Amino acid sequence: MGIIIDEMEGKLRPPSIGLKPYDAKVIPLTTGEDMLVREITYDEIPLLMETIEPLMKQPKDFYDIVASRIYAELLGMYRYRVQDEYCFVGAVDGEIAGIVNGRMVNEKVGMSYHTMTLKRGARVGAQLFAAKMEYHFDFMNQDEVWIVAESPNGFKRWMIEYELESRPQCPHELGGVPTFVLTRALWEKHKANKNVGIRPAFEEVIEANKVLHKPAKISV
Amino acid sequence: MRNVGIVGVGHTKFGKSELPFIDMVCAAALEAMDDAGAKTGNKNVINQVFVGTMGAGMVSRISGIASAVVDTLNIRPAMAETIENGPASGASAIKLGYMAIASGMCDCVLVIGAEGMRAVSGWEGTDFVATMLHPEGEYKYGLTLPAFAGLFTRLCMDKYGLESRDLSIVSVKNHANACKNPCAHIQAPVVLERITNKAYINATNPIVADPLRQYDMCPVSDGAAAVLLVAEDKKAELGFGDKKFVKIAGIGSATDTHVVANREVPSDLLAVRLSAEMAYKMAGVGPADIDVAELHDAFQILEIAESEEVGFFKRGEGHIAARNGETALNGSKPINTSGGLKAKGHPLGATGVSQVVELVRQLRGEAGERQIPDAKTGLAVNFGGFGNNVVSTILTTK
Amino acid sequence: MDQMYAYKCTKCGKLHHPRYVVCQNPECDGREFEKLPLEGKCRLLTWTRVYNLPEGYMCPWLNFGIVEFENGVRVTGQIGFDEEIESGMELNATIGVVREKSILYKETVTAPQYGFIFQKA
Repeated sequence: MGIIIDEMEGKLRPPSIGLKPYDAKVIPLTTGEDMLVREITYDEIPLLMETIEPLMKQPKDFYDIVASRIYAELLGMYRYRVQDEYCFVGAVDGEIAGIVNGRMVNEKVGMSYHTMTLKRGARVGAQLFAAKMEYHFDFMNQDEVWIVAESPNGFKRWMIEYELESRPQCPHELGGVPTFVLTRALWEKHKANKNVGIRPAFEEVIEANKVLHKPAKISV
Repeated sequence: MRNVGIVGVGHTKFGKSELPFIDMVCAAALEAMDDAGAKTGNKNVINQVFVGTMGAGMVSRISGIASAVVDTLNIRPAMAETIENGPASGASAIKLGYMAIASGMCDCVLVIGAEGMRAVSGWEGTDFVATMLHPEGEYKYGLTLPAFAGLFTRLCMDKYGLESRDLSIVSVKNHANACKNPCAHIQAPVVLERITNKAYINATNPIVADPLRQYDMCPVSDGAAAVLLVAEDKKAELGFGDKKFVKIAGIGSATDTHVVANREVPSDLLAVRLSAEMAYKMAGVGPADIDVAELHDAFQILEIAESEEVGFFKRGEGHIAARNGETALNGSKPINTSGGLKAKGHPLGATGVSQVVELVRQLRGEAGERQIPDAKTGLAVNFGGFGNNVVSTILTTK
Repeated sequence: MDQMYAYKCTKCGKLHHPRYVVCQNPECDGREFEKLPLEGKCRLLTWTRVYNLPEGYMCPWLNFGIVEFENGVRVTGQIGFDEEIESGMELNATIGVVREKSILYKETVTAPQYGFIFQKA
């Protein structure tokens, strides 16, 4: 995509605080497979959009709204219209197992966007959620992350399991619904239980996931 | 008493049902009827239908499911009742079917077990299942069935030296077996190292009810299973003359205290022991005669404890037998060749019937890659409540 | 109702918890019971920490235990602390709110219920 960054384009792009790179890690799955959690590259964004597009019509478990919003967020990232957005995937042998994303509001506050699981039954969603919180707190050194959920599953998983602080007066940018906050104190309390991964990531696993592809069939 | 046996079996793929509840129940029923060659309409020979289910009314919102089934299958005016005994509803339904024929009142009974718990969320399902607990002494506190499994497991660990790893070994075995069972909910192998390695066990196998971990407990499944029972002395006359006949040799059932804290020995499963003894006595066999067993393993600790209480191993040594591979497909006492509740799935009301279906397949030689060579006698134990109502069934082709 | 009771059979004196309709002594057929306050010193027989709680409980986990009082009565309840829980330890049975919401048919109503919360002795 060759955009000429002229004065107009410069006015339309958001400012950046500078995103640090996320060190990839390996999460062993119970089936014996290894899942790699890593940042996506700019060029991989269209593949992710293509992967989730069919789910935009799947109302079950709120996949339709989550997929539609991630689609817009990824498109926004691709067209340089979202401030400091990051996106990680969990991948097994190159096949995309899950996607998480969010952005930095400023140095101290993060805005969590979404978590989508494509490979169900292996706790992929739970681990990718923890991975993005790890990015906000342990890599970007933030103080708090604002979180909302579209589905009851999401709400109970995170609001209850992490004991998130309720802050309804803060409207989350995903529709202005009441916000829940993961503070540094709560992260430090829960991270030992929630956040795992082997670093540095094994060479073979990095190799196996250099080129991503979408799952042949997504069944939710 | 008359000899009663099974001439037809049916079993849906457990998991998330694509069919509405009644259709799922009928799918298993018709498979069993077709297997036996039983006809609908004016050629129907079924006198009685029993449907074992815990949540058809409250969760799936259909009360009197047996009455609905009899109508939609076009086998009116057959008698029909819905049977509830928590997770032991299936075996209880078979027991009542047996009694109906053995008493002389019926000649042919269709028994179906079914559950559609995935219609509600995990939290609502957990709460509904917890209503089996004592309302003031237990349910009020927010206790759940997994909570009691955790309390029980700790007692076994303290008393017998059983370790968390032993539970994982049983879980891995059951998952391996289920990979050979096309009806199983989960058909993916689990690698022992991946659910026991301390470096990442909190991610792959988190604690759910300390000391029980995620891989120590069964999934939530929809599903239905069915068997067609017939009196041996009417088998030919009713048109099942050329069908394999697997005899129900013994049935036992027993109750224990409702409040788990008031069990005489809280680390024992007395109702399992008594129901198995009753079944062995009726069948004229003992633990050594059992070639294959389906033991209710909603929590992997139960498979181990039940294997002791039914007399396969000494009390406190079941986990050692599991460690040594004695309960695997190629072991001396194969348990849960179907994958057990852990991997085959646990649609509560269906489980008791599903266990019997697996035994019938084993005894007929139709268990495919999980076949136990020369299996002639099998035992199923179906565990209701948290062990306060247990039904044991022995089948044989001897 | 913030007091918990043992129920004593008026015929044979056997202590019960919770309330039963018929005396649990195999030799007795009593149907009347006297209420005796039940609280205080007890011993922990077994415990668990449960993460997947039923509908209505909005906390990440709860601890539960089965205890035995000196008079032989056993009860199940919540454990009110998190650290160093061990089978065999001595505890103090107190009374507190153990459930805030009840599910009535399809509605959830706020109706606190009291029960045993075991604290460090």
